[in-house]
Amino acid sequence: MSVFTQFPLVFPVFVASSLPLPATTQKIPTAYRLLSYLFFYFLSCASQVVADPNTLTMFRVKGSLELRCQLDSTEASHIQKVLSRAFESLRTQMKSESCVFTVCDTPVIIWPNKGVFEDISPESSCDDVLQRIQSDKPESGGKRATKKKSKKDLSSVVSLYLLVEVTKPGPLSAPVISKTVQKSHFLSAALPLDCAVRTHCKETIKDVCDRLVEALTQQLCEMEKVMLQHMKGTTLLIPEPLHFLLPEPKGLVTVIFPAGVPDKELETQRRELHQRFELSDDRPYFRRANAYHFPNEPYKDGYLRNPHNALTHPTLENGKVYMVQGIYSYHHYMQDRMDDNGWGCAYRSLQTICSWFQQQGYVEQPVPSHKEIQQALVDVGDKQASFVGSRQWIGSIEVQAVLNHLLGITSKIMFVSQGSELASKGRELANHFLTEGTPIMIGGGVLAHTILGWHGVSLQDRFLMHTMGWCGWKGPEFWDQTAYYNLCLPQRPRVI
Amino acid sequence: MGRVYIVDEDVEGYLSKLCPQQAGPVTGLLIGQSSAQKDYVVIAAPTPKDEESAGKTVDKEWVSEHARQVSRMLPGGLTVLGVFMITDADAKDTVTTLRQLVFGVEKLISSEQQWSPAEDDVTDCVTLHVNPKTRKTVCRTFDIKDPKSTAKPAEWKYQSGVGSSWTTVSCWLNVDLFIPLPESRTTKGSAHKCLQEGLNVWTQQIENAVFLINGKKLPEDSELTSGQRRNVRQTYTAQLLTTVEEQRSAHVLQRCGGSVSVRGAAHCRAFLHTHKPKVKLAEKLLKRDAISTVATRVQMLLDEPLASEEQIKDTSGDKQQTEENCLPRRIFCPLRASGSLHVCDYQFSDEGLSEIVDRLKEMLDIDTAEEDLDTTQEMTAEITQSSFPTDPPEETNEELEPKRNNYIGAFMAAAAALLATAASMIYFSDM
Repeated sequence: MSVFTQFPLVFPVFVASSLPLPATTQKIPTAYRLLSYLFFYFLSCASQVVADPNTLTMFRVKGSLELRCQLDSTEASHIQKVLSRAFESLRTQMKSESCVFTVCDTPVIIWPNKGVFEDISPESSCDDVLQRIQSDKPESGGKRATKKKSKKDLSSVVSLYLLVEVTKPGPLSAPVISKTVQKSHFLSAALPLDCAVRTHCKETIKDVCDRLVEALTQQLCEMEKVMLQHMKGTTLLIPEPLHFLLPEPKGLVTVIFPAGVPDKELETQRRELHQRFELSDDRPYFRRANAYHFPNEPYKDGYLRNPHNALTHPTLENGKVYMVQGIYSYHHYMQDRMDDNGWGCAYRSLQTICSWFQQQGYVEQPVPSHKEIQQALVDVGDKQASFVGSRQWIGSIEVQAVLNHLLGITSKIMFVSQGSELASKGRELANHFLTEGTPIMIGGGVLAHTILGWHGVSLQDRFLMHTMGWCGWKGPEFWDQTAYYNLCLPQRPRVI
Repeated sequence: MGRVYIVDEDVEGYLSKLCPQQAGPVTGLLIGQSSAQKDYVVIAAPTPKDEESAGKTVDKEWVSEHARQVSRMLPGGLTVLGVFMITDADAKDTVTTLRQLVFGVEKLISSEQQWSPAEDDVTDCVTLHVNPKTRKTVCRTFDIKDPKSTAKPAEWKYQSGVGSSWTTVSCWLNVDLFIPLPESRTTKGSAHKCLQEGLNVWTQQIENAVFLINGKKLPEDSELTSGQRRNVRQTYTAQLLTTVEEQRSAHVLQRCGGSVSVRGAAHCRAFLHTHKPKVKLAEKLLKRDAISTVATRVQMLLDEPLASEEQIKDTSGDKQQTEENCLPRRIFCPLRASGSLHVCDYQFSDEGLSEIVDRLKEMLDIDTAEEDLDTTQEMTAEITQSSFPTDPPEETNEELEPKRNNYIGAFMAAAAALLATAASMIYFSDM
């Protein structure tokens, strides 16, 4: 997020607002909603942040190798010996001539250990490979067409698949069938390999492939360690690689976790990782939800992420921009087939806040629906049972109560008696974004918004916020000068 | 609008040769390749003489059994297309018999088939009635997918050189199967079921593999070649790239009562009738051949009652009992002196080439000599020392091979034993 403070950008004016008053029965046309939705999406595709001149490309290879072994006894030392042998043979296979990489969306096939490059020259640079992908990829709708070819996507990823060639040049000897009759145990599992390396644009594809083979072999070693570490009797857990983007200069690291083990049982491992990478102990970096989301993978739930990234941000003399840290998903009116037009803005703000806690890995609960929010308030005794299913508003106190009850999050409430005073609270809000980094819910006047950022110098403070159908920077004139406002500032738990 | 069968002239000559032979009906199989528009017939194989029936009536089960064994001898692209019958009975009267024959044949063959059928497979089978005196042929087809289908007329055309310039696609497939056996050995059926499941998993992998021709992945509808002249024999080498299906869950060590592992290489080959074949067809036929040749051989070996099977009765002990057997190796025989087509057979380690020659004569009525056989595609496997720390290899070979009443077989076994000793000495000296 600090990148926004470094690059001065032009401040545009955003209009697109609609302020439904509770009294009106006028419905906001869905076409309008759709338009504003699409507008943000196009923007997020087309607008680019000016990048570091040494643009880095990521090469990511994914594949599965079969781990299998037969065990005569279930004694721990025997399992260890057999597993080690099985992993050794996989490592040999990794370095053998039957290991093959195919580059997605191109006919390029590479045998890295044989030096055979099909449809590409081994001396091609990573830039060339990217160009190939962008030109070979079939047109997938309007979004791609609007993408500017001249500006390179900062985070471009080349995806490769790992395959094993089962044919060999012959003649070879006919098969032998071997039948063993003995009470024993066997294990047959597919290991999900997933390695990513960052490359410079001028690096050759041959070097990148060598690095990938090395990374995959190394990953097999780590998988062996994790499997043996988490072995319990006859239960062996499949090791699962996850990528985490750590603050620079550490960059992308890959960690192997045992599949199926929830985050709370892996605290020791996370603590050790925090120590190894010298990360602070008060915020999570290695929870499953923190896993790096590669730009070429869609989000399964379909929500927009961080729409404010699509905006260009204000530049003012001596001003700093303080923003929400991390990723949240954008929840607004009329989503999820919930017709909350006119009364749901605080609920949506609360959902956005919940999504922040979920996506940073602090909680595992999914974002609550309107009914779940209302039920939570009934459960804590704040509202009557009839509240559930109604279209009643909630305010910042209710938001605080729900965050506490459903997610175990505490929040601070800030009270502003007059809208004109809001500007003076700027410093406090800036501090909040620095230390907590969570989105703020503000309610008052006739509606609620979510504050995602603050930029201020004396009287020209601007708040970055979203609500209803838009997201934008608003100055002091936005606030109702005489109304009072309540703000809910969620506090980030100090855990890893 | 019926199907068109383009038949090689040699088949015509062969059928005529069969005509004046005996009074009773002569049945046999028609072998070739189907395509969407036409079918090509290259071999006519008569049903071998069965001592009991002595040519009086048509033995439907025997015809089906013959077809089952013959289809194991056909590389990819060659399949049993239907049956023929040479009889002076009227064409109308033989329809029912021919229909029963062809349905029985297809049913038995498809029950053994390991690969999954495709949408674009042709499901029509041909029946040919030949009158031995007039040499007149009546050709009809049945749709075997439809049990109620009726005979549809089809065209039977002779042409020279059918099968002379078919394209060949081949590869050597590295097989590394590992199939656990069930814990309780009460029923042989459960072991068989496990084997079938294990083979199915492997079959899926092969069917989903990426198919390369000459190192390239070509689009499905493109041709293997472009602008080649006719009558130039074309061969291509294919490659297969596989992956395993991901499972994301904790894995408990499973109990088992043993395992079956198949390791080695199989030579796979498929023939394509056009000289401009599509990649999709090449992929389909080669993969089918790969699956069939491995599954057939595993089946062949497990069908044989192994001599030591009866000795393994005690399951309570933890003693490890391992048997190793060589799968029979694949040997090819050219169909005609010229032309690219081959048929194949499997040679067990205790058999000699003369047995192959005999079988080819019996099953397909092909006259060939030992020196014409192509034995270079697969080498005889040598059983390694690893599972028998104490027994020397020559005893292993002779102990486990099924006994055959054949002096030549014994001689071959001794020769194989000598070879195995020599190989193991080299093995040890390398280690």
